[in-house]
Amino acid sequence: MSVAAQIGDVSFAHPGADLPSLDRVSLTVSQGESVALLGASGAGKTTLLTLLDGRLRDWRGRVSVLGMPLDPDNAPPRARRADTGFVFQEFALVERSTVLRNVLNGRLGRMPSLRAFVGSPSSLDLEAARIALVDCGIADLAERRVDSLSGGQRQRVAIARCLAQEPRLILADEPVSSLDPARAAEILALLTEAARARGATVLFSSHQPDLARRFSDRIVGMKGGRIVFDGGVADLGDAATSDLYRETVTVPGIDLRAVN
Amino acid sequence: MRSRGLGSFAVGVLVAGAVVWSIVTTDVELSRLLSAGPRIADFLGRMLPPDPTVVDEIIKGGAETLRIAILGSLGAVFLSVPLGILASETMVSPAIYRPIRMLLAFIRAIPLILVAMLMVGAVGLGPLPGIIAVAFHATGMLAKFYAEAIDGVSRAPISALESAGAGPLARLRHAIWPQMAPVVARDTIFRFELNLRESLVLGIVGAGGIGFYIQTYVRSFQYDKAASVTLAVIVMVIAIEALNVALRRRFR
Repeated sequence: MSVAAQIGDVSFAHPGADLPSLDRVSLTVSQGESVALLGASGAGKTTLLTLLDGRLRDWRGRVSVLGMPLDPDNAPPRARRADTGFVFQEFALVERSTVLRNVLNGRLGRMPSLRAFVGSPSSLDLEAARIALVDCGIADLAERRVDSLSGGQRQRVAIARCLAQEPRLILADEPVSSLDPARAAEILALLTEAARARGATVLFSSHQPDLARRFSDRIVGMKGGRIVFDGGVADLGDAATSDLYRETVTVPGIDLRAVN
Repeated sequence: MRSRGLGSFAVGVLVAGAVVWSIVTTDVELSRLLSAGPRIADFLGRMLPPDPTVVDEIIKGGAETLRIAILGSLGAVFLSVPLGILASETMVSPAIYRPIRMLLAFIRAIPLILVAMLMVGAVGLGPLPGIIAVAFHATGMLAKFYAEAIDGVSRAPISALESAGAGPLARLRHAIWPQMAPVVARDTIFRFELNLRESLVLGIVGAGGIGFYIQTYVRSFQYDKAASVTLAVIVMVIAIEALNVALRRRFR
């Protein structure tokens, strides 16, 4: 099985922070895997995902994504960035644009510069957007403005934008933490099934261990910028789970996340 | 605490000193103030009733003021787009936006009427100096507004487009512009309203528009005609404000 992402001994601290967000982290993810990142706020999940997306600077260590090494000083080239899709916790949609426009934004990395600036999609771009809309069950919302949608519908748009990109690696940063439990399971099912159908690797972070178990085949637990658990879904017992969240469950309501 | 009390005392002395200095050195005679009542009544009496025969001049002057405001605003928009981008923290580095912001503050500090007088000297009488003056003066505010509109957008969609592989210009077009467009529309309409209000007085220094007629009629003691033109100015200001309010509702 080929490797989708490989992290070797990576450390990173946010400017001005006392403690590192990533502390000598090593991780290998195989192509086609569905991996859940578990851990409390501030454990380093968002930083790890941002690193793999090529948007983190000034880290130390070795990272290669889809067979290409990442450079700590420079963003990956445009065409490479399109191969890695990212689903944001707060959707990160352009609120005043239509659903279709937002989904087509996922195609910008696949278009030549001028076409991307003008925003005139080719028939290939439109077809990719159409398939993504249908797969996410929002084809009927295509002409609606995003600011008129519910939270669940917005996350469907964000996932459709990611799928339209035709990524081989999908990174999702707490994609369902702002949704109610029923909606959360629906969206995670949608994301992981769409990825499986496309043969894409998924790495998603979550606060909810039960959801993580249901929708992944491997769990990676993080705490204080380190990987403290890595195993199959069955290996993660209740004791290991509560250990991941110890120290932080005593301060409910306080968000310790270092990276937003 | 002690130094703070001292500070307030110093400010108090400064303000009191400024007021006393102004009263003592300005020629304010109580007798002139008391005799002013009948003279103001006489002045107002001569304004009434307003002379309606100047309607042609009002239309001509009003149309010219409107043209000055429209072309001046257009010029300001053209100048403000590049300057606004160069004054924004999101788009350029501090080495660029700091001096540009200082330049804009400098432009804002020069009153329109002063720019108009200089332009009359430079290009002669008529609406052209008025148009140039309005474009120049309005850019100081409009470019600052545009920069703030760019800096006020949500960063998350920009990151999302960067992640998807969009270049800087594509991000500007598809993530920043859709968010700032309604703000830019509102700011531009607001600035147009200000331009129209301010260009009403440009005629006084010979830079074109309806102000020319107020100036002429007051100088020649035709107060009834001046009153008609003044009324027309008030109506124009109220009309543009109403139009502004109606338009702003459309941009959300």
